[in-house]
Amino acid sequence: MNRRHFIRIVPLTGGGLMLGLSGIAKAFAAADETTATDSATAIGDFLSVQTNGDVIFHFTRHEMGQGVSTAMAMLIAEELCADFERVKVSFPPADLVKYNDANGGHGTGGSSTVITMTPILRKAGATAREMLIQAAAAQWNTTPDNCYAEHHFIINRISGQRTGFGELAEQAARLKVPASVTLKSRSNFSIIGKAQTAKTLPLLVTGQHRYGADVNLPGMKYALVARAPVFKAKIRSYDAAKTLAVKGVRKVVSTRVVAGIQGPLLPYDIREGIAVVADNFWAAHKGRENLAVVWDEGVHSNASIEDFAAFVKHRGEQRLDPSGYTGDENAIANIDHVKQTLRAGYVFPYMLHSLMEPLNCTAHHKGDSCELWIGNQWPEYIAEEITRVFGIPKDKVKIHLFPSGGGYGRRAYPDAAIEAVCISKEAGNIPVKVMWTREDDHQTNAVHCYQRLDYQAGWDEHNQLYAWYEKECRTYMWDRQYPATELTSNGYNIPNIRYDLEDLTNESILQSTAWRSVMINGWALSECFVDEVAIALKKDPYDFRISLLKEGREANVGHAEKISNSRMIRVLQLAREKSGWGQALPAGQGRGIAIYPYGNSYCAIVALVTVADKKVTFNHVTCAVDCGMVVNPSGAKNQIEGGVVWGLSALLYGGVQVKNGRVTTSNFHQNKVVRINECPDIDVHFVETNDEQPWGLGEVSNPVAVPAVLNAIYAACGKRIRTLPVNLNEA
Amino acid sequence: MPTLRFHINGAAQQYDVDAEMPVLWLLRDYAGLTGTKYGCGIAQCGACTIHLDGRAVRSCTLSCGAAAEKQITTIEGLAPDGSHPVQQAWIREDVPQCGYCQAGQIMSAAALLNSNPSPSDQEIHTAMAGNICRCGTYVRIRRAIRTAIDYKLNPKPLNQ
Ligand code: FES
Ligand code: FES
Repeated sequence: MNRRHFIRIVPLTGGGLMLGLSGIAKAFAAADETTATDSATAIGDFLSVQTNGDVIFHFTRHEMGQGVSTAMAMLIAEELCADFERVKVSFPPADLVKYNDANGGHGTGGSSTVITMTPILRKAGATAREMLIQAAAAQWNTTPDNCYAEHHFIINRISGQRTGFGELAEQAARLKVPASVTLKSRSNFSIIGKAQTAKTLPLLVTGQHRYGADVNLPGMKYALVARAPVFKAKIRSYDAAKTLAVKGVRKVVSTRVVAGIQGPLLPYDIREGIAVVADNFWAAHKGRENLAVVWDEGVHSNASIEDFAAFVKHRGEQRLDPSGYTGDENAIANIDHVKQTLRAGYVFPYMLHSLMEPLNCTAHHKGDSCELWIGNQWPEYIAEEITRVFGIPKDKVKIHLFPSGGGYGRRAYPDAAIEAVCISKEAGNIPVKVMWTREDDHQTNAVHCYQRLDYQAGWDEHNQLYAWYEKECRTYMWDRQYPATELTSNGYNIPNIRYDLEDLTNESILQSTAWRSVMINGWALSECFVDEVAIALKKDPYDFRISLLKEGREANVGHAEKISNSRMIRVLQLAREKSGWGQALPAGQGRGIAIYPYGNSYCAIVALVTVADKKVTFNHVTCAVDCGMVVNPSGAKNQIEGGVVWGLSALLYGGVQVKNGRVTTSNFHQNKVVRINECPDIDVHFVETNDEQPWGLGEVSNPVAVPAVLNAIYAACGKRIRTLPVNLNEA
Repeated sequence: MPTLRFHINGAAQQYDVDAEMPVLWLLRDYAGLTGTKYGCGIAQCGACTIHLDGRAVRSCTLSCGAAAEKQITTIEGLAPDGSHPVQQAWIREDVPQCGYCQAGQIMSAAALLNSNPSPSDQEIHTAMAGNICRCGTYVRIRRAIRTAIDYKLNPKPLNQ
């Protein structure tokens, strides 16, 4: 292929991710089970209407705190013309026949849920509304066009008769599903666009909201696993005599048969380990403490994060063939045009997820079938892998889905499920709840990929940016089937851009995985280098960005969505206006700005920080977001606020310490995260649009918060921080 | 193993348990009260916060032996109908995301307002700094505590 045709398009990244992934969801049967009562009537795949009029929405995606159970209920309730107070959410088990691709599947990630589900749920809601109208019209001996739906009633506009949804449900469910339906226009929305509190709240505030970790089955045992302390290490020998002497310990089994399995789609890894199966958590815990394992530590036994960082730095300085470029691939060396150059290397290191609910899975391997209880982002992949690894046909795999205490990409992988099924099987086909302690979570887990970005910029005699070069070294590829060729340079209007990518997956000293926003975390650090160039050219960072954007320009950088310069300009303007950008500040304070898209959503952030005694304090964060139509303003703001805090934790406390192949820090006393006393006030502003399509929100703010704060630190004290966590003593 | 007597959410109960076992696991694995969450096991995250004789404590480092005979209140017992001012404020401010930390947040906030009906911002931060929220709902937690204080002073339904 002629490289002159530059920028190949890869259907990945951002919003595109899970749309592609749901393609593997083929026929997979699981018995249906809903929380609806006998008196409920199913209308379509997503709704049951009880005779008392309560509407039950069957939620199909994974609720991990991103608020989609509420947002999806709003989308369907809007078209149904329901009273939103009377809409309840149920969490049915995975059903890959009913919830196939056409119904959006179960796979949840890439901030794709509202993108994919909006057209599906609006149509489903409108269809149910039409069927209720038809049922009412038949009852009143009139035609459907004489009737309309409003606030949980069907009304006859001629006679004024009204009937509630509950009384019509049974009749409606017997009707033929109409081939086409009319959707409401946005001006008639009464639920979408109005702040709704989360449907999960009543159960949450009373401690009744059930997570995977809360599962309790008759005869269930509890297991903890002593996993290899070094990535890729193997068991040499073990002695379980003392463990088996602990009261309540039942069995000790190894997970050797599933260790090292390579995921065919999204890469994952299961560390080899010894599972202690006991009557309760405490016995399993004591038993594991008494276990003596000798490890064959393997290739990473001497690995340290310092050595790895030095190795990657060396790789970052080497050029490859470009993965993509626009204009002249060697422009940076073109001395006819380039008067001056600047270069800098940035690192977004390994990061822990610290899911508040650590990984867990309850599994019951029953010989020729199995049953699982888990909070997971992608049950389709679990089913595929159980078939592949254990030979159990998919229609014999039943997966009960639970909301989770945080996913952030980590729960998109089936490893915890496969390990649990293995332990259940090895322990004699009994139901086992496999739990991860916080130490397991921090020391033997998969983490954010290690990304190093080496930038170089060149400008001409008129101080116009002429060439932009960047080399990325990364330990994770989205999907093994595709090489990534995205230009990561944010759609700025620079005539010559070149991007080289080096895949360091095989050299990685930890298993890399998806971590909220995945590689956009590293890519958005280009916003720091843009700042460096602005400062070198003595330009205001805001003005400089605007000068690199052109109204109406759509930049094809190889992402699933083109980057709209106009939308970038709008969010930058909004952030500027709301933050007081440019106003004078006392000494020691500084403002920083950054912008980056995720999928088809855009976020610009202005951070205000104070630097004193080599310590950073976050004073205020202003966010401007364009995500198309905002479905639930309250949930949407919550996502942006939370993403900012997520980014601040990475800034202050991120990174993973590795020595002798082991992660040396174990729990929250060492792996800190931002707490309430460190959290700034956060303002969130949405760009008003007329769009009827929402775009994802869960991953758009954290990658931007990081460069915004780093730029603010520079503005406050003149120190340029190029890796995380922020350390002003070394800078 | 000794038989220990507990008072959990107002009810007297007896369990044969290891006196060293943390109360967190008594609640979750024996008493079936899973609203109290495990997050760290070393008193660093606050997910397991309960009230012991009305004070907020971390149940992951409180042994069964030390809690026996004392009054234990969990999130399930705070106000089962969700009518406690802190629960009401949490709903009104739409605080949670994943919710996993929130039982602990609510128990910490409820204990704070019990002992200090009108805390300063600084006092709120001190009382709540032991509770991690990985989803980052701190801005809303601050606001909800203010809302709960208003509600306590002027208890009427918090309609939207
Ligand atoms: S589980 Fe007790 S403080 Fe974290
Ligand atoms: S709401 Fe998820 S950890 Fe707090």
